[in-house]
Amino acid sequence: MTDNSEATVQLRPGLWATVNKRYPGSMIHKDDYIPLAKLRKPLGEARLSFVSTAGVQPVGIMPFDTVHPIGDYTFRRVPSDAKPADLKIHQLKYPTTGALRDLNVIFPIERLQEFAREGVIGGLTENFFSFIGYNMDAERLERTLAESIAEQVVAECADAVLLAPA
Amino acid sequence: MQRAVERRGIPTVSITVARDVTEHIKPPRSVFLPFMMGHHFGTPFHTELQRRIIVTALSRLTEAEESGEIYSLPVTWAQARREGAVIEQALGLKT
Repeated sequence: MTDNSEATVQLRPGLWATVNKRYPGSMIHKDDYIPLAKLRKPLGEARLSFVSTAGVQPVGIMPFDTVHPIGDYTFRRVPSDAKPADLKIHQLKYPTTGALRDLNVIFPIERLQEFAREGVIGGLTENFFSFIGYNMDAERLERTLAESIAEQVVAECADAVLLAPA
Repeated sequence: MQRAVERRGIPTVSITVARDVTEHIKPPRSVFLPFMMGHHFGTPFHTELQRRIIVTALSRLTEAEESGEIYSLPVTWAQARREGAVIEQALGLKT
């Protein structure tokens, strides 16, 4: 199924325009499509990585700067074998009512570990990658942070990547 | 972000709860869920739904034919919350 059903209506319609009106230039618009890369091995043999903008990070390391006026353009590594109790959320821009009770609703680390154990996927990269979604300079994010994480994903020999832009 | 990875030859898929934002940024593959922000994989302790969302996303890696395609799962937020509440009750997390 693709379009026009009741299920395709988002809870906050007009989000792109709303944010861009308040913070002009903060929201990216693209005209082109990136050619699809091909999965080079069966899913059951593929190493999966996960990239999140939910501000999830290991407890005890430098927290994201959630109050900087133009955002925080750094990322954190999250060991893919971590337990939810080892992790903490630093961000202010989405409701964490669900995530504070079960982190998997925004950072499904336990589900991904299960899929790796069950052989649905071949395995997980040693680390997942995390940053915060509050970044007002979209062009800067694209030029620096996005490229850095993409390099890391390649370095960790990922065959595929799941992303959750919070 | 997603486009930067795909450009390096690694297939990607994202989960989105903001369909219009996704239409603007045109990631190669995405799965849309009409959920509350911050709840991309559903409701707490609803592992079946969390798993179903991930499995659907993974299937797009091999099944998507066109770049930019947004795939919708036929599930509503009201339904996810209802099911989540029943599960929490069964687990003794909610009275």
